[in-house]
Amino acid sequence: MSRSWNDMDEFEEFLDGGGIVEVDDDMPREYREAVFAFIEMHANSEYMGGLTERDWIPKTPGLRHKMSVLAKTQDEIGHGHLLYMVAADMGIKTRTEMLEDLMAGKSRFHNVFHYKAETWGDQVAIAFLVDAAALASQQAVFKNCSYGPYRRILKRIISEEGFHMRLGEDRMRRIAEGTIIQKEIFQGALDRWFWPALQLFGPDSKPDDKLLRWHIKSERNEVLRDKWVQKFVPMMHSYGFTVPAPDLAFDDETGKWDVGPIDWEPLKKTLAQGGPDSARRIGEARDNWERTAWVRNALNGVLQ
Amino acid sequence: MNETAEVLRDFLLAFADDEHLMGQQHTEWIGVTPFLEEDLAFSSIGQDELGHAVLLYEIVCELDGVAPTDAAIDALAYSRGAEAYRSSAFTEYGTTDWAEALIRHWVYDMVEDYRWQLVSESTHPALASAAVRAQREEVYHRRHAAALMDSLIATPARPELERGLVVVLTLLPSLFAPVAGEDLLLAEGVISRSLATTAPDVITHIAEMFGEAELGQVPADGRTIRSPHFGPLMVRMREVLDLDTEAVW
Repeated sequence: MSRSWNDMDEFEEFLDGGGIVEVDDDMPREYREAVFAFIEMHANSEYMGGLTERDWIPKTPGLRHKMSVLAKTQDEIGHGHLLYMVAADMGIKTRTEMLEDLMAGKSRFHNVFHYKAETWGDQVAIAFLVDAAALASQQAVFKNCSYGPYRRILKRIISEEGFHMRLGEDRMRRIAEGTIIQKEIFQGALDRWFWPALQLFGPDSKPDDKLLRWHIKSERNEVLRDKWVQKFVPMMHSYGFTVPAPDLAFDDETGKWDVGPIDWEPLKKTLAQGGPDSARRIGEARDNWERTAWVRNALNGVLQ
Repeated sequence: MNETAEVLRDFLLAFADDEHLMGQQHTEWIGVTPFLEEDLAFSSIGQDELGHAVLLYEIVCELDGVAPTDAAIDALAYSRGAEAYRSSAFTEYGTTDWAEALIRHWVYDMVEDYRWQLVSESTHPALASAAVRAQREEVYHRRHAAALMDSLIATPARPELERGLVVVLTLLPSLFAPVAGEDLLLAEGVISRSLATTAPDVITHIAEMFGEAELGQVPADGRTIRSPHFGPLMVRMREVLDLDTEAVW
């Protein structure tokens, strides 16, 4: 049964008390729009992640290995599929509208998926660094998420992302025990992906971050980013890789790694103008979308 | 290795190579099929076909007397000379045309189902066992392809499907081509019939969907000749492997 609230104060009191909002509730317009935008961006990011990885799947070195990598990317596209349905149920855009907006460059996705996977090492670095960053963000949302349909889907997504992160770690270990050529390729990939992965968490949260106030996010961006740094800096060192942060330092007092000042210009530029590979990747997806319109049009006719 | 074992090895390689390359072709479609559900279906089917290739390469390892490690499987999958592959032009062909990809999937899984039936009661136990597993999965592949074809054939999409069929039919004879000495496998009960004998049934199924279909001459080259698509496909598949032949990724 649909629930409603007299004003935002009453709604926020409901959220602060651990209330869970369902799709047929008469939620405040601002909340509906903010949650929709957040889920749409998550869905776009999962889909764009799949497109980032797809370039290398046919070149995966090894038959059983290829099955694992294909399954991982299938999961990413599957997450996008589930999230688009959750977002579409909010009644702001249909799934087709969301996909068409993405392909027209009108909607956003995470900064990391604007970059190109240059080598096979990048494919491993994405699973190792980026999947872990994405997982940390998703876990923080799941922990206290006030929008019920999103929270339920996140449970499944998080369980699958855990496998992806472990796949990345496993492949990283193989490379760490491998040849000089492998290690050089992977170090190059780490150099390219460390900062974009770190910036996936975004700049420090604003004091009035609505997503925190409405219990969509449960942790501030800077807290999540720091946890990721404290995990990955020592891990990269322990496997013999270099962290591409010239000002990296260990603070004996806090017992923490500090990566130094973060240059946010690449992130701002990427989000404003698109990244080094987004136009090509989206263009390829749009071309295929247009070239296969005959299938969707025919099936829509069957369904009507 | 006696003569029957050598023919069996060729037979297994032909089947495995086709499964491998068909799975490989499916990997090209993730993220760019007509809709998201189809992305998921194609990648799932691709994983199954690659898995079938692994099952068959494992039996080749057994014949060769080597453990079916990742390295041994990958040596068979990626490191033979072109002349040692037994794949068909049907699976070597790369396409970015969804109509061709869909029709090929529909026809391939129809033929693959027959192919597993031929060995489901094989006197070679590992092959019969592989058939049991693969046939369980093939039910879903065929159901998926048939559902799409049944939905699309009576719509304005039909000319696209017919265009795809023209290409697929030119490739189809290669899929039925037997390896040299196949009669020995029939005599020993390794296979119950030649795959080529199923061609009329396959053509009948295609004709039921499209009204008419004809099959060209099945090649009698013992699957020893590669199509022009094989070389570029192998370069693409081996790109990372060739960076460092000592590496284990």
